[in-house]
Amino acid sequence: MTQELTGRKDRGAADATPAATAERVDGSAVAADGAPESHQQRPRRFGVVAWLRWGWRQLTSMRTALVLLFLLALASIPGSVLPQQGIDPAAVSKYYAAHPSLAPLLAKLSGFDVFGAPWFAAIYLLLFISLAGCVLPRTYRLARSARQPPPRAPRHLGRLPQAAGFQAAGTAEQAVGTAAALLRRRRFRIRVGEGWVAAEKGYLHEVGNLLFHVALLGLLVSVALGGLFGYKADKLLVEGETFANTPVGLDVFRPGRLVTAGDLQPFSITLRKFTARYIASGVQRGQPSTFSGALRYNSRYGGPRRSYDLRVNHPLIVDGVQVFLIGHGYAPVFKVTDASGKVRFDQAVPFIPVEQSGLTSAGVVKVPDAQPRQLGFAGVFLPTQIDVGGRLASAFPAPEYPRVSLVSYAGNLGLDGGTPQSVYSLDTGRMRRLAVSPRPLAPGQSMTLPDGLGKLTFTGYRQWVSLAITYDPGQIPALVSALTALAGLILSFLVRRRRIFVRAAPAPAAGQVPGAAAIEIGGLTRSDAAGGFETEFAELASEIMQEVRGGAAAVGEPGGVTAPAGEKGE
Amino acid sequence: MPNIGLADLSNATLVLTIALYAIAMLAYACDFAFGKRPGAPAAASGRPERVESVALVGAASGAEFAGHAFPADPGDPSELADLSAENGHRGSDPAAAEGSPAAGAAGDQRDKPSSGSLPEPAAAVRQSPWPESTWVRAGFVLTCAGLVLHMVSVATRGLSEHRVPWGNMYEFIAAITCAAVLVLVLGAVRFRAYYLGLFVLLPVVLALAVDVVWIYTPAGQLVPALQSYWIAIHVTAMIIAIGMYIFGAVTTVLYLLSARHERRAAAGQEDVSAGIMGRLPGAATLDRLAYRAILFAFPAWTFAVIAGAIWADHAWGRYWGWDPKETWSFITWLVYAAFLHARATAGWRGRRAAYIQLFGFTCLMFNLVGVNLWITGLHSYAGIS
Ligand code: HEM
Repeated sequence: MTQELTGRKDRGAADATPAATAERVDGSAVAADGAPESHQQRPRRFGVVAWLRWGWRQLTSMRTALVLLFLLALASIPGSVLPQQGIDPAAVSKYYAAHPSLAPLLAKLSGFDVFGAPWFAAIYLLLFISLAGCVLPRTYRLARSARQPPPRAPRHLGRLPQAAGFQAAGTAEQAVGTAAALLRRRRFRIRVGEGWVAAEKGYLHEVGNLLFHVALLGLLVSVALGGLFGYKADKLLVEGETFANTPVGLDVFRPGRLVTAGDLQPFSITLRKFTARYIASGVQRGQPSTFSGALRYNSRYGGPRRSYDLRVNHPLIVDGVQVFLIGHGYAPVFKVTDASGKVRFDQAVPFIPVEQSGLTSAGVVKVPDAQPRQLGFAGVFLPTQIDVGGRLASAFPAPEYPRVSLVSYAGNLGLDGGTPQSVYSLDTGRMRRLAVSPRPLAPGQSMTLPDGLGKLTFTGYRQWVSLAITYDPGQIPALVSALTALAGLILSFLVRRRRIFVRAAPAPAAGQVPGAAAIEIGGLTRSDAAGGFETEFAELASEIMQEVRGGAAAVGEPGGVTAPAGEKGE
Repeated sequence: MPNIGLADLSNATLVLTIALYAIAMLAYACDFAFGKRPGAPAAASGRPERVESVALVGAASGAEFAGHAFPADPGDPSELADLSAENGHRGSDPAAAEGSPAAGAAGDQRDKPSSGSLPEPAAAVRQSPWPESTWVRAGFVLTCAGLVLHMVSVATRGLSEHRVPWGNMYEFIAAITCAAVLVLVLGAVRFRAYYLGLFVLLPVVLALAVDVVWIYTPAGQLVPALQSYWIAIHVTAMIIAIGMYIFGAVTTVLYLLSARHERRAAAGQEDVSAGIMGRLPGAATLDRLAYRAILFAFPAWTFAVIAGAIWADHAWGRYWGWDPKETWSFITWLVYAAFLHARATAGWRGRRAAYIQLFGFTCLMFNLVGVNLWITGLHSYAGIS
């Protein structure tokens, strides 16, 4: 039984013919094992061609495909466990801070860019080479076997997985003719010989399987297309502001390998208004219920401007470029005058949410033009400010009681040092904290800085959205490939390739009726994924019996047309 | 606003479902304790007939007549190869195989059909679909009743929220267990393998208990990120696939145990598991059942991943971003693809393929549980922290 369960090789004619020959004889049959040569011997004598052939066979063998599939799965795991540069750069920095000695080593092994790593690419490229090397010859074999007639009927149909037999009046030729006609009506491909019919059907199984594998290649090509010619960008846009789709107009721009600035589609977008609604009561209080951004856009400079309601799951598509709403927040507006009384700053400053339930947002204001000292402010915006035991907090994400609270600094902002600074953080190394209380300011309120350094007014607030802009020319091909793969998969699972054989010969003299024929029917399938071949065979066999007997009866002989239920074989 | 009355009804029916499932398990266990012991400690070769009898009476025995075991797996690719060997025997050149009429006739003379010893074809005879043992029958009826309540619970939850009821971890677990039991019931009837109920219900009841006690989330609205009809498509496909994967995994574990039992029985060793194994349909059939389950699950999973990619594209502007959830879906998909390959690779069928499948299931479960708990990504909506 063990033998049976693990590798059932002991079947039928296999003992009559060495397995190796079996696999070589008929390409169409071999297809099951893709590259049947997996247990092929290594070449005995050294010869470059022989070794290359051997290597190619190894690479395109089923076993190698299996191992590579597995390796690819294993190789993906670090990509989900380690933070990835392309997905969450902040997490990578954090990882560096937490594991200062390990991180550089991991970086060297592409641990933070697993899916772009050379070793990852090596595995999938090998897999796809193996795939191509496996699929092409199989396509060729399928095309050939579709043009050839089915193989001859084997001698002993009783050895096939499905077999049945009966006797009927009439000659063997009549029986074979009737069976062949019936099978032909059933759209089997037929080959008739002396006293036998061979019939085959279900080539679509192999077609489906090949379609699936070829579509996977198509998927790879589509992904590569996106990586070469596509781009991704991010843009934070405050209500009332406009940006143009140029490398300068975008906050972050990640072009594909072959993209230049001139390739960018020349649209521009204005955010007119952003609306967020939140659930006001119940256990889900504070959870967002809708986000919507009212946009105006034109697809080229000076072109007609159109409106669009941008929502989550509902991107704007301009010129094949998709624009997504991926985040939102508040941008308080500040006006700062310096010691000279001149307005040195008057604009909205995006603050970044630091928690979701009340949307407390943090940000900084930098006034490099202030005289005589540069001014800096860091603090929070609280949409619905409350006081929790002396600490400020926000109770609700909508601006029901909006306040800002800022700590003020004067000195040198350090902007001229050459090292780029984040607009969301303040380097207070060369600044002095001013003695002014960070008490919450309501819109319209001001705070006066000590020493006559100036004044800051919180004039109001606006909202901002963060947009993800993506262009991926591989997208449609990828979708088509994926759906083709799925269709091929389903096809190959639903269709079974099967062969039916019928042999007829004059019945032995001891038979019931003189001149009767003994008929054997055998059937087998290679790919009965969805099951049901037993039933199909049984139905076919009993129909063949009825027709053969019926045909004979019409000629004149009475035949037992109704089939007695066969006794169960123990 | 959720409809509280319906939500409460959903909660109550789910608890009742767990109770019914638990009692059903008890009934199966009673069959083991008090029921008639099915047959002698099964002789290996006799086993597959238990199920084959459903299929076809006459046909199955043909192979046995010729002294060959019935192939447990009709999908065995070596069969056609064997067949062509027989053709090749007469000449590897296709033209030669066609043969001169004379040669063909001579061959045919040699190989007279041995008709008479083969069974006559007969239309498929189905046995009564009912399990024989009263206990098993009771267990099965309870399972079906539980399934109905389970569906009611999932449906009322959805009605109370005016949306598909799989928006958080609690709802998701309730739904996948429901799918698993549905697959169980269909598989049990189709393959007359009722006793599987005990083993599929075990993880289902445990999961539901954990779900109700620790993961419970009150009915509510979806966050905007989940408000898309793609959730209905993507997650529904996923739930169906997972239900079948669960069934496949349980059956595979049973297959491994049963194969071990049969090896021991063949070696004449005493085996404590004989009582349980005698109630199951035999290693070959279990193997086939598990394979079938994966054959259906895999395209469903493939579809779910594609739908997820389309949704991700609509929501985040990229169809694939190697987010941890996506990565693990991909890993799961690859491992199950490897399993399907293993089933078609000489020397990998059987136990090795079974281990690959269980590894795939581990990846699947890690994606559901581990990724939610330990790894954060865009998909962190599970509602547990
Ligand atoms: C990207 C890598 C691959 C994946 C994801 C993959 C996946 C699959 C899946 C899911 C199946 C079962 C579905 C069906 O029968 O149509 C399958 C079958 C098959 N694959 Fe692949 N495959 C890959 C590469 C390969 C390679 C490299 C070979 C050649 C050695 C190969 C040869 C086969 C064969 C011969 C079958 C049919 C097995 C049968 O008859 O059951 N595949 N593959």
